[in-house]
Amino acid sequence: MKGIILEARNVSFRYPRGMEAIRDISFHIRKQEKIALVGANGAGKSTLLSMFNGMIRPDSGTLLVDNEPVRYDAASLRKIRKNVGFVLQNPDRQLIAPTVYQDVAFGPVNLGYSEEQVKESVALALHRVGLEGFGRRPIHHLSGGEKKRAAIAGVLAMDPDVLVLDEPTTGLDPAGSEDLMELLDELNHDGKTIVISTHDVELAYPWAHRAILLHKGKILAEDVPEVAFGNPDNIRTARLSVPILLDLHEELRKRGLKVPEGKPRTVLDMMGCIDSLLDKPCCHPSPGKIFVCNVDSDASSSLAGWVAGHPAIAIGAMGTRAKQRAEQEKYTLAFTYGVIDKCILRALLGHDTLILTTGTMVDHIFRRIGAYRDESGIPVDPVPVPEPAAQTGTQAGVHP
Amino acid sequence: MFEEILEDTAQTNGLREVNTYVKLMTGLGGIILCLLSASYVGPLVIALIFTVSLLVLAKIDPWVYFELFLAPFWFAVFSVAVIVLISGGAHVLWEWHITSWFTLSVTEESINQGFYLFCRVIGGMSSLFFIALTTPMTDLFSVMKRCRVPDIVIDLAMIIYRTIFILASQIVQVYRAQVMRLGYSGWRESIHSFATLAGSAFIASWNSGEDLIRAMDARCYAGKFAMLGELRPVECLPLAASIAFLAFSALVIALTGTYTLIQVVP
Repeated sequence: MKGIILEARNVSFRYPRGMEAIRDISFHIRKQEKIALVGANGAGKSTLLSMFNGMIRPDSGTLLVDNEPVRYDAASLRKIRKNVGFVLQNPDRQLIAPTVYQDVAFGPVNLGYSEEQVKESVALALHRVGLEGFGRRPIHHLSGGEKKRAAIAGVLAMDPDVLVLDEPTTGLDPAGSEDLMELLDELNHDGKTIVISTHDVELAYPWAHRAILLHKGKILAEDVPEVAFGNPDNIRTARLSVPILLDLHEELRKRGLKVPEGKPRTVLDMMGCIDSLLDKPCCHPSPGKIFVCNVDSDASSSLAGWVAGHPAIAIGAMGTRAKQRAEQEKYTLAFTYGVIDKCILRALLGHDTLILTTGTMVDHIFRRIGAYRDESGIPVDPVPVPEPAAQTGTQAGVHP
Repeated sequence: MFEEILEDTAQTNGLREVNTYVKLMTGLGGIILCLLSASYVGPLVIALIFTVSLLVLAKIDPWVYFELFLAPFWFAVFSVAVIVLISGGAHVLWEWHITSWFTLSVTEESINQGFYLFCRVIGGMSSLFFIALTTPMTDLFSVMKRCRVPDIVIDLAMIIYRTIFILASQIVQVYRAQVMRLGYSGWRESIHSFATLAGSAFIASWNSGEDLIRAMDARCYAGKFAMLGELRPVECLPLAASIAFLAFSALVIALTGTYTLIQVVP
């Protein structure tokens, strides 16, 4: 288990002339976790988040960043704000400079980087969020999703260990929200700890490693999402709603059906539950293959030829660079979010799929599909393409 | 909104990638030549060249350009009309004695004077539009920095520039909400609604000021603002075209000397 990076010990806070926003809260967040802080409007989510980078000082209690108590002198605050990047709910409030480049460079310049370092960190940050070539654009020419990405890039340019996002998907269309959550996953794979606040239960449920339910400044539940969202009393008190998959699972169980104890996180899990009810896997006799292409590798240059050889294949992209590559090659993407699950679902129907992905995600995809194969016993196999060496592995991997 | 049309055009026009100094030199040169010209011909030639280059080279939508020109055009027409009426001259064409000490008159000299002024306004405006429509504000900030304008002025200008668009969109929202609820249906309502609009604009700007400080603090503000990297290189063709234009205009001004619209017989 990784070390603790953020911790709150008996933290309380009251707004001047207002009610208590945070009441004696204690919890911790480990490195590289994905945490969703869930609660209704006014539950204290934003207040709690603003404490992590010293924007709000608690009346009592201690906050620890990297196991060191937060101190509120200028130098310590600078250090904390560099390590804990905060993305505000409204990107218009976060973006302060006239152009994208200037805004992303704001943090690095104020941290005293040299001109070369500033350019480098801005280029890297824009690359990570997929806004290359946007540097000279003025902020008000960006769409809502682009503004959000620019705001995230501005924080990433300071290379923080923790990213704190307040209601990251507010104002984004569903596809934009999915893209953003994908981006957060990608950053998490690159080693960032991610904390988001949201009241979108369906969004937080499959995404988070752990969920913290807040109600009137107190923690109602703090656990893996299946448990945190699984208690109807807590959900009612917190003015939230039960995720639809959990609800469905519970209804099936109430009818005396023997569904597995493990609660479904995704549609794929739910299909597994239904399969076990039917007592036979309802998948195709010969499941399809999942081809995985690393767009960062040199071998991916022959991708176009490979795709041309598989005209009807459904393509999914994971990661910003993979999506850009798909755009360059003018592929129609069938999946952009929850790609691995959707590809497994396709494979169960006997169709082949191709996942375009970036270097850091390849291992994750193989692990995830491997775990599914081991758990379900259904021989779904990832196949790296277009490397010719993998061809022999393909034949060996697929059983009738 | 008007300011967005200007900015959009400046960001996307055909001369966007030309070096900012060259564009500024051309535009400012045009204004100075208009001021130096002693006859109406020079400013008219300058206005014509700028208009053609804006429409053809910068590919500005003619309708946008026309609408932009309307405001200064009418302003010039009315100002010139007053000047024509009150400045006197020897060759009177028409006059009206209102009282013993106040006479409105149109003379050959006043028409010449008025037309000359009118052309200078048009020439100057087209030069200014040339800068405004081809050079985005963001490029001007870089130029200001290089011209050693104090940092605090540039930082303020950049923050104001960024805030204008946020504030403008908020004002539009409030205005629409008022119109939808018949806030401008009568004279009294209009005054009342306008007052509330002004009030909410003030509160909105106050709030966004506080947000700004918070956002800057959250990102380790230490008194520095990044500048937009490098300017575009100076290319030969635009530079040559600019010099040729300035030289040609100067020549026209020198040759036309003191041409007037009406030849006044001494």
